[in-house]
Amino acid sequence: MNFFKTFKHDSWVKPYIKQYKGLLITALLLGLFTSFCAAALMFTSGYTIDKAATHPVNILLIYVPILLTRAFGIGRPVFKYLERLKSHNWVLRVTSDLRTRLYKTLESDATFFNEHHKTGDIMGLLSEDISHLQNLYLRTIFPAVISYLLTIIASIALGVFNPSFGFFVFLLLFIEVFLVPLFSVSVESARRAYQKEVKSDLYVQLTDNILGVDDWIISGRKSDFQNLTSQNIQNLDQSKNKSKAFRRNRDLLLQLIFAAIVVCFLIFTNLTMTNNQEQANFVSAVVLAIFPLSDSLIPVSQGFEEWPLYKDSINRLNTLKPVKNQLPEQVNLPAADFKELNLEHVSFEYNTDSPILIKDFSQTITRGEKLALLGPSGIGKTTILQLILGDLTPTKGQITINNLGIDQIQVNREKIFSVLNQKPFLFNTTLMNNVRLGNENRSDSEVKKALERVGLKKLVESLPDKYETLVGENGSRFSGGEQERIALARILLQDAPIVLLDEPTVGLDPITENDLLETIFEVLKNKTIIWVTHHLQGVKHVDKVVFINDESIEMQGSPQELYKTNQHFKELYQMDQGL
Amino acid sequence: MIDKRLFRLPGTKKLLLMLAGLTLLQAFVILFQGKYLAEALVNSWEQKPLQSIIKPMILFAIVFMLRHIFTLINTKIVEGYASKTSEQIRSQLLEKVYTSGPEMISDVGSGNLVTSSLDGIDLIENYFKLIFTKLMDMCLIPPVLLIYIYMQNIASGITLTIIVPLVILFMIILGLAAQAKADSQYKQYTILSNHFLDALRGLPTLKMLGLSKRYAKNIYTVSDEYRRRTMNTLRIAILSTFALDWLTTLGIAILAVFLGLGLINNSFPLFPALVTLILAPEYFLPLRNFSNDYHATLNGKNALGSIFEILDRPTTTKENQLRDFNWDNNSQITIDNLKFSYQGTAQNEVSLDIDSLKLSGYQKIGVIGKSGSGKTTLIRTIGGFIKPDSAEIAIDNQKLDSFKQKNWQNKLTFLPQSPYLFSASIAENIAFYRPDATKDQIESAAKSAGLLEFIATLKDGFNTKIGEGGRGISGGQQQRIMLARAFLADDRHVLIFDEPTAHLDIETEYALKQPMEELFKNHLVIFATHRLHWIKEMDYVIVMDNGQIAEQGTPEELSRHNGAFEQLITNMRGEQM
Repeated sequence: MNFFKTFKHDSWVKPYIKQYKGLLITALLLGLFTSFCAAALMFTSGYTIDKAATHPVNILLIYVPILLTRAFGIGRPVFKYLERLKSHNWVLRVTSDLRTRLYKTLESDATFFNEHHKTGDIMGLLSEDISHLQNLYLRTIFPAVISYLLTIIASIALGVFNPSFGFFVFLLLFIEVFLVPLFSVSVESARRAYQKEVKSDLYVQLTDNILGVDDWIISGRKSDFQNLTSQNIQNLDQSKNKSKAFRRNRDLLLQLIFAAIVVCFLIFTNLTMTNNQEQANFVSAVVLAIFPLSDSLIPVSQGFEEWPLYKDSINRLNTLKPVKNQLPEQVNLPAADFKELNLEHVSFEYNTDSPILIKDFSQTITRGEKLALLGPSGIGKTTILQLILGDLTPTKGQITINNLGIDQIQVNREKIFSVLNQKPFLFNTTLMNNVRLGNENRSDSEVKKALERVGLKKLVESLPDKYETLVGENGSRFSGGEQERIALARILLQDAPIVLLDEPTVGLDPITENDLLETIFEVLKNKTIIWVTHHLQGVKHVDKVVFINDESIEMQGSPQELYKTNQHFKELYQMDQGL
Repeated sequence: MIDKRLFRLPGTKKLLLMLAGLTLLQAFVILFQGKYLAEALVNSWEQKPLQSIIKPMILFAIVFMLRHIFTLINTKIVEGYASKTSEQIRSQLLEKVYTSGPEMISDVGSGNLVTSSLDGIDLIENYFKLIFTKLMDMCLIPPVLLIYIYMQNIASGITLTIIVPLVILFMIILGLAAQAKADSQYKQYTILSNHFLDALRGLPTLKMLGLSKRYAKNIYTVSDEYRRRTMNTLRIAILSTFALDWLTTLGIAILAVFLGLGLINNSFPLFPALVTLILAPEYFLPLRNFSNDYHATLNGKNALGSIFEILDRPTTTKENQLRDFNWDNNSQITIDNLKFSYQGTAQNEVSLDIDSLKLSGYQKIGVIGKSGSGKTTLIRTIGGFIKPDSAEIAIDNQKLDSFKQKNWQNKLTFLPQSPYLFSASIAENIAFYRPDATKDQIESAAKSAGLLEFIATLKDGFNTKIGEGGRGISGGQQQRIMLARAFLADDRHVLIFDEPTAHLDIETEYALKQPMEELFKNHLVIFATHRLHWIKEMDYVIVMDNGQIAEQGTPEELSRHNGAFEQLITNMRGEQM
């Protein structure tokens, strides 16, 4: 059964149940007390009334049950309140641990991002998985455990008075809280998986409808537009209707079993508790006490139903494995000592099945040199940067700095390399904090200085919160060009000798692009730069241009020299500049 | 609580009538369930034999089952209504996307629309499922039970009557307190709760900066801080549930005590006391159910509200003003006094204000300007995606309010900056304007666009699935597919291009130039670009600035004097090598 298989090699759910044990036991006990008080309230109320109906001579005879009735009446909401707090507290504590673990696991695997950045928002998925685990505890595991404890305790309590009746009730409860939930998981699992699949198809189609609406309108294909999703919607509805019908019938069955339990109690109490009035006073108490239990027993099946959702999350998390980096002995290379970066006959392929991405690529870059790397998209320009950083390892050839292998200097790589990406990542915190990430030891004034150098002083000081402005999610408070400048300020603080630029100006308009390139090459004029770019704007800033295509280096040389000697380069340059 | 616009949805009134009938039945069944149970218990209490309780017990079992069968029918009806109605809303939403789509998308945001039409509809379905049943239960069941309880025992009736307003009062007070507390922390709160995802997405950056190892500690600290704050808020937020619970259970306890005392004083027999006690929890149940689902209904209500807002947007365009015609070398368009400004989320975009513009025949017209100058807005207006606030437009002397005309749009091919490829095969994408095209026609269009070489490398050739779920293809090939689409639609003689080569690398653009020039022949071309080399291919140039036409004329005319055109070009080129 997939239910047990999922947990067999699980390391994301099981181990955490042992954590914060005291808190967990408290939460579960409080849950149990809540149900107990609910039952006890009806028990003592029933007894009070029955006893009172016998007209006892002394009111004191019902004083204790009255007192207990009040106590349980208050106890139930209090315990429930505390239980909710404690269980949330436990889950949130575990969440902090899970998050730290997920972070560390991903952190250890640099190549993870290279493989996965194409498959959509994997980070969003993983972070949602953690929330799913929270719900797994709160909505499924806790209620189930509490109902199991209740089942056992109630059956034992009855068994003390009458073992066979206790066992009989146990069987009925067992069906209610265990067999039916398990049955509904097995029936619904496949259906839920199917619904999820149809839904993701539907998502694609709706995206086609909405993002492609311009084309739909121009094409005049209105009925195709409307019918695109209809088949999937119909399939989804059919399957969902089956789920709904199943759920309705299952709930009816659960109530039927519950009715059977009540009837059994009515018969049992009539047969065994009517020998004298004192016993008979407990009849209503015993029968009424079982009604509140249905509140805890019947929702167990609903909790189980969400299992397919949790299963996917648990499985996904369990496939993540921390990567042991096997790096050679690390050498501390002082930034000031950097002289030369060497790529010798470097080849690279992602795996043996995929085509060779980089073939026999050699290049020497000396301190202070500026190199532009051009080539059609998908040719592995970014891959070269990842190889230089040591995030990827060449399948052939080697990359060295001052004759040290790139894998030998990973320990303080940030002292040697800075990177400016196409979409630099800004954390959702203040501008000041974002820039200071470049070097946490820098003072406020040095951060401000860096922002001034990248040409943001005027803009920032015109904002109401100035340097404490929140940059928003993914830096959305600022425009593309401004985001690049903020990241550039960060690099200035980092002050590494080699700066890798990975198409920082893609998507910017030419005027913004020009201004940004001027700033970049101005503030980085003492650095070594390797610049991946897609066209020739600003190419005058570099010492050497390298054009690669899928076979080899197509042409290379200083831009001025290429312009004079190479016809193709000249044409490209003229086209780019509209000359 | 309930949106009045709900009642204009078809079937709502009928549903409410049916529900009212069913719920009333349920109320009586609950009442009898309590009555028979109490009878059985009283008999047992009187130490009568088993035979005496068999009849009430069987009746109890029957009404108990009836109650749940009614619940089943009730749920079935409501679920049926919910899924049918929410589907109707979804199709209305799609219809709306088609009729006033592009303009609306720029106001509402495309991501927003996709979410509304998928997750939003689910929320709405859930809302429909909950709101009617819970409200109906709350309005009908307690009163019926209460009347019966009054008939049995007036004191108990009074106790139960008093508690309900108390419960509601407490819940409102505590609910408001929790809201105030949550509001005051909201901003900090969202940052904290998104911090983890932010850190995961920024992990590569942290790694580059050498901070990633140390940051793990930060993850724990922030997450724990989040826990602390959540607990603080939760303590107050769940107080309202606590108050509800407390008052209802205490109500039962007080009732039991009253009844006990009454019985001792011999003011009534056991049966009315017991039946009152049994019915008391049932009396409170609808209220508790309602408050449990309150948050779920709130989300659904908001989703419904935002979809209603979209549906309420006006769609009064006269799409059929323009009689069918043919665009040829003698056709012409005049545009005078065109004004447009954005609404909604796009309010900061530049407004359009065009005095006079004339397009004719197979001219090639370049639209240039710095970003934010209104290039895109202008060509989207000409494409009919944007309806101007006011304009005098004439196509071949037919006067029009806007370019949103069926007989204009079926002359167009539109090629945006980032083309949207549908999740379908390459062939289907090429044949998008002409779904009935033959295989040969598609191949010949692909050949003209220079696609054959690329398609030959694919295992499934023209049948390769692309788009969202399909194979990722490069920007250059995407544009070629769009060009093939344009070649195939050879009955459309107007090309509107919006910076089609902006994202491409220089060599890919170089390679694309030749098929594009081929395509330009025998077409009216309106080409927005900031890639300067295209200007040489143009007969006429419009220089946009701040939503207005700063200059227009042939490239030769414009380059002769030092105006907006020359300045723009100098700025774009930057310093020469």
